[in-house]
Amino acid sequence: MAKTEKILTKNWGHINPLKIADYINVGGYGALKKFVSEMKPQTAIAEIVKSKLSGRGGAGFLTGEKLKIVAENASHEKYFICNLEESEPGTYKDRMIVDNDPHLLLEGVIIAALAVGAHKAYLYLNGNYHKQKEILETALEAARKKNFWGPGIMGSSYDLDIEIFSGAGAYICGEETALLNSIEGRRGEPRLRPPYPTETGLFGKPTCVNNAETIANIPWIILNSGKKYAKLGATCSPGMKLYILGGSVKKPGVVEAPTGLTIRELIDEIGGGVTLGKEFWFAQIGGASGHLVTEKELDTPLTFSRDCPIPLGSGSILVVDKSANIYDLILSWTEFFRRESCGKCVPCREGTFRLHEIVSRWQDGEISERDREALKDILWTLENTTFCPLGRFAATAMGDAVEKLKILCK
Amino acid sequence: MSLTVEKILLEFSPRAENILPAIRQISLVFGYVDEEKTGKIADYFSVTKTQIYETASFYDNINTEKQPPFVVRVCFSTHCALSDAKKIIAEIENILHIKLGDVNHPKFKLEMMSCVGRCGEGPVVMVNGKVYERVTVSSVYEMLEEYL
Repeated sequence: MAKTEKILTKNWGHINPLKIADYINVGGYGALKKFVSEMKPQTAIAEIVKSKLSGRGGAGFLTGEKLKIVAENASHEKYFICNLEESEPGTYKDRMIVDNDPHLLLEGVIIAALAVGAHKAYLYLNGNYHKQKEILETALEAARKKNFWGPGIMGSSYDLDIEIFSGAGAYICGEETALLNSIEGRRGEPRLRPPYPTETGLFGKPTCVNNAETIANIPWIILNSGKKYAKLGATCSPGMKLYILGGSVKKPGVVEAPTGLTIRELIDEIGGGVTLGKEFWFAQIGGASGHLVTEKELDTPLTFSRDCPIPLGSGSILVVDKSANIYDLILSWTEFFRRESCGKCVPCREGTFRLHEIVSRWQDGEISERDREALKDILWTLENTTFCPLGRFAATAMGDAVEKLKILCK
Repeated sequence: MSLTVEKILLEFSPRAENILPAIRQISLVFGYVDEEKTGKIADYFSVTKTQIYETASFYDNINTEKQPPFVVRVCFSTHCALSDAKKIIAEIENILHIKLGDVNHPKFKLEMMSCVGRCGEGPVVMVNGKVYERVTVSSVYEMLEEYL
């Protein structure tokens, strides 16, 4: 694997995340300066479109297109939201970005918000990230003093107000419409789409919601051109990605690598291989809502493309060895989705509940004939009829466990 | 000078985006948001009491009922479940003499929680918001000692 340039993690461990001077010394806020002095919002968005950067939260929608739709909207009031909810089990990449390089994220937020013409940006932070809130508050304060946000940014006519909005602990609020409801002071239930948030979002105004990792790529794209970014990683969804390795690997943690790597490369070359003395069983890609991958699928490259059999999702890779307690693992999925189902639609509210019941009854590897039949029905219902993707997520891993691992089959 | 709901509310301007932060703050200070407090919040933000209760009851970090002095929450999401969170729960049950989800104990409550984004450092236990990482069965007693 060729060594490539780091975009997201280049400053990690080299600068003091609490000192803005450190970030400026390594060329930080250079992209903002370039944007304010040399670029028009349209040219900046054109660069991002050219980069083919796609949403890193899991859905993989093209970021440039999203920004363009909001930017082209004639409304005077627009919002920009950076999604730092990140409640997917096994995912903590956005927390690491804030911990190690908060100003990179802020610079991206400022550029993207100005490019779409928003005057107000929210950082929607996970309710459990208390330390990260303090880091962001310090960073915001420092950036404001330098006039990187606020009225008349760096002597230009751009205005931007940034506010941190702390969530209150709900997985579903990572879904963009649920997130909007949460800011509006309502239950974090998803809204019917269309209309998409890009047309009717926060308080009915056009809103651009982007994952933190996506936004952290933007300063680099502005400085180095979108064309250069499009050459990194896989051709269908280029760029760099933060992978979160966990479970039975020698070197767990967050690592930056290009998209399009195969799962085997990620585990063996980046994760250092499976822990000594353990035997690989399967891997779960993309957190609790992700697909399971067995030995024979390990050479599949991971991308955000819809043609990719295994979506990259949030980038979390959990390696499970043969000594793992599969009963606890499956129970943790169903328990998680039962607790986090928002209750808006019946298939998900009831489905996740019954799924958990069936799994709780499953002991010693055997379930009754009746439960097995019901399981099939529930999985189908979750897969096909729920209001938002959460229901489908709840069925993904379970479906794979039944199909690929032959669990809950006898 | 003691804090009252009214005083806390005055820190927030009555706009929709402040509803959730206000409820959260009140829940944090008083431990929970009951019907009386719900009414005051609703009046302040000029919305219905139902809407405030709806919002308050939805989120994990906001309580609508009085809580015992110590709430022990154990993460049982993928990574923690794989690193034996079940055994930690059993050990806590033993030490505190309560069952998971029991609401009648005067001093303790033990519940499962969703991922808090510390998957590299699991299993994770939270006592009244204080986070303990890499908890092992043998370190559970030491962790709980100060609360007993």
